[in-house]
Amino acid sequence: MSASLSLRTVDKIYHPRGRSAVHAVKALSMDVERGEIVALLGSSGCGKTSTLRMVAGFEAVSAGEISLANRRIERLAPAARNVAMAFEGYSLYPPLTVRENIAFALKRGRLSASEVSRRVQEVAALVEIEPILDRYPNAISGGQQQRASLARALVRDAALYVLDEPMGQLEPQLRAVLRGRLKRLLKDRAMTSIFVTHDQTEANALADRIAVMEGGVLQQFAPQHVLKEKPANLYVATFIGEPPMNVFDASVVRDAGRTTFELDNGPSFGFGDNELAPEVRQAIGNRRKVVIGVRPHRVALGNGSAETARVISNQWLGDQSHIAMAVAGKLLVAVSHARVRAAIGESVPYGVRAQDLHIFDSDTTVALAHGARAA
Amino acid sequence: MAQIEIRNLHKTFKDDPVLKGLSLSVERGEIVTLFGPSGTGKTVLLRLLAGIYPPDAGTISLRGRDASGSPPDKRGIGMAFQNFALFPHMTARENIASALTARKTNAGEISRKVEAVAQLLKIGHVLGHSPRELSNGQKQRTALARALVADPDILLLDDPLRNVDAKLRYEMRLELPALLKRVGSTVLYVTQDFKEAMALGDRVAVLLDGQIAQCDTPARIYAEPVNVGVARLFGDPTLNLIGVAPQLVDGAPEIRLGGSRIRLPAGYSTAAGGRYLLGLRPETLRLVEAPAPGTVAVELVAVTPLNEKSVLLLTMQGGEELLASEAGDRDEPRRTGPAHVAIDRDALLLFERESGRRFIPAENGEVAHERIAITSHR
Repeated sequence: MSASLSLRTVDKIYHPRGRSAVHAVKALSMDVERGEIVALLGSSGCGKTSTLRMVAGFEAVSAGEISLANRRIERLAPAARNVAMAFEGYSLYPPLTVRENIAFALKRGRLSASEVSRRVQEVAALVEIEPILDRYPNAISGGQQQRASLARALVRDAALYVLDEPMGQLEPQLRAVLRGRLKRLLKDRAMTSIFVTHDQTEANALADRIAVMEGGVLQQFAPQHVLKEKPANLYVATFIGEPPMNVFDASVVRDAGRTTFELDNGPSFGFGDNELAPEVRQAIGNRRKVVIGVRPHRVALGNGSAETARVISNQWLGDQSHIAMAVAGKLLVAVSHARVRAAIGESVPYGVRAQDLHIFDSDTTVALAHGARAA
Repeated sequence: MAQIEIRNLHKTFKDDPVLKGLSLSVERGEIVTLFGPSGTGKTVLLRLLAGIYPPDAGTISLRGRDASGSPPDKRGIGMAFQNFALFPHMTARENIASALTARKTNAGEISRKVEAVAQLLKIGHVLGHSPRELSNGQKQRTALARALVADPDILLLDDPLRNVDAKLRYEMRLELPALLKRVGSTVLYVTQDFKEAMALGDRVAVLLDGQIAQCDTPARIYAEPVNVGVARLFGDPTLNLIGVAPQLVDGAPEIRLGGSRIRLPAGYSTAAGGRYLLGLRPETLRLVEAPAPGTVAVELVAVTPLNEKSVLLLTMQGGEELLASEAGDRDEPRRTGPAHVAIDRDALLLFERESGRRFIPAENGEVAHERIAITSHR
C-alpha cells in the first residue's frame, strides 16, 4: 500500500516572534496509508488538534511538508485540498436546512438530483438524523448538529476524511452504535481517514493505527495491541489502557543468579535467571534504577503470591472487579474478571510475574523490556 | 429514619413533565448514585432537594423533618454542581475556605482543613490560582473541595468528575468513596457513567421516565434489573436483546434462537406462550468449537478491541446480530468464520415484550406450581 497522507517534519509554532511562543507540534512525521483509519490521541494541549487543522488547511504549517495522494497541499486553501471535514468550529450554514447542508457538499460533483437525494438519505440514516433533515441548524441540539456535520463530510467523495472529535457530544449508547457503523462505512469504501479524539475507547474501536501525542511530539504510532503490549515509553504506558499501567520506581539488585526490583519505600520483587529472560537482563544492563510496570489485568491475585497489600477499594462493575491496594505509598490497581470478595482494609496476596513485567529507563523513560523480550 | 426522604415528587417545566411521582430514601452515611440518560431530570431532582425551586407536588424530608418552605441556605446541604459557581475574584484556596469563613472557624483550623481536602483532590499545587487560571477539571475539583471542606451531613454532587481527564477521573473513582465515608456525609451523587455509578454507590438509583425505576446495590442492579430499560443502561457493550416466544416442549420451557433450540431453566415454565425479549450480557456468551445442547450456530464477523476486552460481532441464522465479549489475551487472535456460541442459562434475562418488566423465574419448577396453586385457592 502506498501512503496517501504524508507529513514530513511538520512544525507548528504559535506567536513565533512573541514572548509567549508556543511550539504546539514538533517535527512531526507520519504516513497514513490508502484506506487506513488513523486516530490522533492525546490529552488536551498535546498538539493533536493543531495537527488536524494543518492537514485540513485551517492553520498554516510553520515548517515541513504535507502531501496528499502525492500532491503537496500545505500551501493550498482548505477547499482546494480535496479533503472532507467535520470540525466543531466548521459549522453548518444557518440559512439552509440540514438536508440542504448535506446536499450542498455534493454540489460540485455534477450528480443527478435523484442521486444526491439518495446519498443524503443514506448518510442521514447512518447517523440517525432522518427525522430532522428539514429542520434548521439552530433548531436542533448540539449532538444533532455534530451528526449533521459528520454526515456532510461523509457524503462527499474526497481523498481524505478529517474528523475532529466526531462523536464527542453524543450519548454513550448512540456512540457505541455509530462507531460500528462508521467503521464499516469507512472500511467498505476504503475512505482514508484521520480523526482526533481524547477518548481511547473511540480510538481503539475505529482506528487501524493510533498516533499518541504529548507535548507536541509523536510518542508512538502503532495498532492498539502494540501500544498496549509494547508501549514505547512511560508516557504511552500510563496513558493507554483502562485502567492505565501501574508503575513504580525501583532499584535493581543483581545477586547470584537473581534480579530483584526493590520499590522505593515498598516491597521487592525478585526473579531468578530462569524466570527473567537473558535479553531482558541484558536490556537492563548495569542500570541501578529503573521504572517497572504491570498492567492491572495482569496483577496476579490470590494464594501462592509472594506479597500482601492492604485493600483501599474494591469495586464490582458487573463483569469485573477493580481492586486498589496500597503499595509503596501509591495505589496498585488489579482488575479481575471474576468477582473478588476482599473487604476494604483486608490484606490480600498479590504478585507480579516476569512475563507481565514492563521495564523503563528511569531517566529517558524509554521502554527497555516487555515481558520476555527486550524493547 | 432516612436522612433524605423523597415522596411522590412531581415537577413540570412548561408542558414538559420531568419528575412524575419520584420517591427515594437515602439512609444516614449512605452514598447513593443517581444515574440515568441525559435529560431525565437528575439535575432537577438535586435542585429541588437544594431548594433552588419548589416541587409541584410531593414532599422532601431532610433529617426527618419536612423541608418544604425552607430556603436553600437553611437546608444545611453541601453542593457541587456542574457549573462550578466559583467566585472569580478569589483564589482556589479562598473559594474553598469560603465554605468555612461564614461559620467563624478560626484561621489555623480553616487553613489546615483546606490543605487536607486539596491534597486528597490533588489540587494542592493550584490553591493560589484564580478560577480563570484553572482547567475545567481543576475548577470542578475546587468546587468539590468547597462542598466537602465543611463536613456537610448531606452532600449533593452533580457529576463532579465530568470534566476531569480520564486518568485522574479513574483515580478519583477509586479514592472518592473512602473520602466520602471518612467525612461521613449522606451523599446523593449524579453521574452519566454507569461504571462510576456502580463503583461509587452503596446503592444505585436509576432514574427513568420521571421515576426511580430501581434503587439497589450495584451487583443486584446489574444481575437483576427490574426491567429492560434498566438492563440496557449497564454493561459495556450493552446487553443483546432478541425477541423470543418460549414454548413447553416435553414439559420443559424452550426458546428458538437462530435456528437452535435452547432449553431454559425450569423456573421459566410459566413464561411459555408469552412474548418476551431475551437479554444476553455479552460477557456471558462463550465461543465454542463444536455444537452441543445450549449452543447456537453463528458466524464470527468481526473482532474489535474494547479496553482490555475483545468484542466479537456474531450473526445468527436469519441475520440477527449478537455481541459477545471476551476478557484476557489469546495467544492466537480469533479467526472470523463459522462458530458456535454457548448460552449461559443461569445468566440469561427475560423481559416481558409489552411492559419491559423482567420475568422472575421461580426457584425451581415445583415451587412455581405451588405458588400458582396458593394464588388460585385465595
